[in-house]
Amino acid sequence: MTPEKIDQLFDYVQERCLWQFFSRAWDREENIDGILKAAAALLTGQPPALDTPMDRLFYADAKVMVSDLRERFPWIEDSGAAQIRDLLHGLKDKLTEFTITKSLNHELNHTLY
Amino acid sequence: MPMVLLECDKDIPEREKHIYLKVDGEDSRDYLPVANASTIPGTLSERGCAFCGAKLVIGGVLKDTIQMIHGPIGCAYDTWHTKRYPSDNGHFQMKYVWSTDMKESHIVFGGEKRLEKSMHEAFDEMPEIKRMIVYTTCPTALIGDDIKAVAKKVMEARPDVDVFTCECPGFAGVSQSKGHHVLNIGWVNEKVGNIEPEITAKHTMNFIGDYNIQGDTQLLQQYWDKLGIQVIAHFTGNANYDDLRAMHRAQLNVVNCARSAGYIANELKKKYGIPRLDIDSWGFNYMAEGIRKISAFFGIEDKGEALIAEEYAKWKPKLDWYKERLKGTKMAIWTGGPRLWHWTKSVEDDLGVQVVAMSSKFGHQEDFEKVIARGQAGTYYIDDGNELEFFEIIDLVKPDVIFTGPRVGELVKKLHIPYVNGHAYHNGPYMGFEGFVNLARDMYNAIYNPLLKLAATDPRATLSTPAKEAAE
Repeated sequence: MTPEKIDQLFDYVQERCLWQFFSRAWDREENIDGILKAAAALLTGQPPALDTPMDRLFYADAKVMVSDLRERFPWIEDSGAAQIRDLLHGLKDKLTEFTITKSLNHELNHTLY
Repeated sequence: MPMVLLECDKDIPEREKHIYLKVDGEDSRDYLPVANASTIPGTLSERGCAFCGAKLVIGGVLKDTIQMIHGPIGCAYDTWHTKRYPSDNGHFQMKYVWSTDMKESHIVFGGEKRLEKSMHEAFDEMPEIKRMIVYTTCPTALIGDDIKAVAKKVMEARPDVDVFTCECPGFAGVSQSKGHHVLNIGWVNEKVGNIEPEITAKHTMNFIGDYNIQGDTQLLQQYWDKLGIQVIAHFTGNANYDDLRAMHRAQLNVVNCARSAGYIANELKKKYGIPRLDIDSWGFNYMAEGIRKISAFFGIEDKGEALIAEEYAKWKPKLDWYKERLKGTKMAIWTGGPRLWHWTKSVEDDLGVQVVAMSSKFGHQEDFEKVIARGQAGTYYIDDGNELEFFEIIDLVKPDVIFTGPRVGELVKKLHIPYVNGHAYHNGPYMGFEGFVNLARDMYNAIYNPLLKLAATDPRATLSTPAKEAAE
């Protein structure tokens, strides 16, 4: 795992993915967890969970993301399962920092929508 | 110094917190414009009021509903037909406007009787219409008229009608945004779940935050029909009142305008467990991505790919013709909020256009997080911009075309800068594949229109009129 590769994935997500910017901290956390979990399954050849409507939502977002990542970053195909899990873990940490813990958005922790 | 204090703002230095210049190497952990905050005294805001957000943007779009505005006549006229959202039933909602026309004596003695009389009168005059939204406005809210009680009385007298009340006077919030919120939350709490829809397809969804501007909804509906997806409710483009009461039965909520309608999608997820999928409906790349996500959710990827291939074959050559001629154009987007982040990357990727300045009237910080993540370095991002700031920004970035509303558009025209209506469009629809070609065509026509240069020339003299005359 290299920070440069995590940065590449992070820059892609920042530019393309609306799900990281939902209204509240708990929405953002739910999306980041769910979509990156589905992406990990797709990138490592595992069957993604499709049992619930939320599973199918995460799968839909992850499927498009994984397709783009494979096209933009061919090195991802050569990464092993352990390396992919590390990369996505690093991506999750960075997304969480930017969009939740260090976000300057004052509405993130409002109790209501 | 990514937060910018413009020269024209030197006497209102608080404005520095609202204007951001993106710089490489910095990000939204360091700087994020203040947004959804009260307009600063001394700045001439372009914002609308909270009532306008509820009525003009969302409620007024419904095609089978009387929009009873309980207030002075101006509140009705100023939120009527300034946004062109047609319907497939002869545009009922654009032909008529309703008001209780409150005068001084009604304010002094109370307006509830007048409201009740007006509601009956409207239903009597239009006996085929059985649905109504009643809006309070600033004066009727201040005198404490109980519009819910009046609506209840009218519904008791007329069992076949249904009335929704929206208590969101103009002063309720800092901008239109509050009106979006009040209508969203009121509707989901009081009306959703009251009616069971007829389910006609295996796959169902609500399409939220699309108001059929010049036919957007009707254009996108062709895609959903081809995919075999039943749209239970469009919130609220080309929609019936009762469609929106059945939103609880959809399997998926697809959200375009997250600012004006994200609230109802959030509440539907919380209350009924319906997932929320946010997409961009403007732009080729984005529209294809949205169709792919919806198709993946329902497991109909093949149909989705076939639709995308068909639309690309039909419209991409036309888009490319415009791209060839628009490449390098500098564009400013001064609209409500979400179109900043919907458009900045789509015009860049699909048309080669560079967005150099963006201003939002009612966006929240969430909208600025999105647009700063997507937008370019060297671009200005402005919250609640005012006219003097617009003049200064124009000098700084020298845009070739500005997408904004008709009011600011008039200002821009006086500077002989091409303007395209970014709210209600020039010649839409602009959503979807065909729509984005329409947007490109309007941008091309605006930029290459020779009239602007001719208008800058005074035929009575050899000297040309100084472009900045209108600003001085």
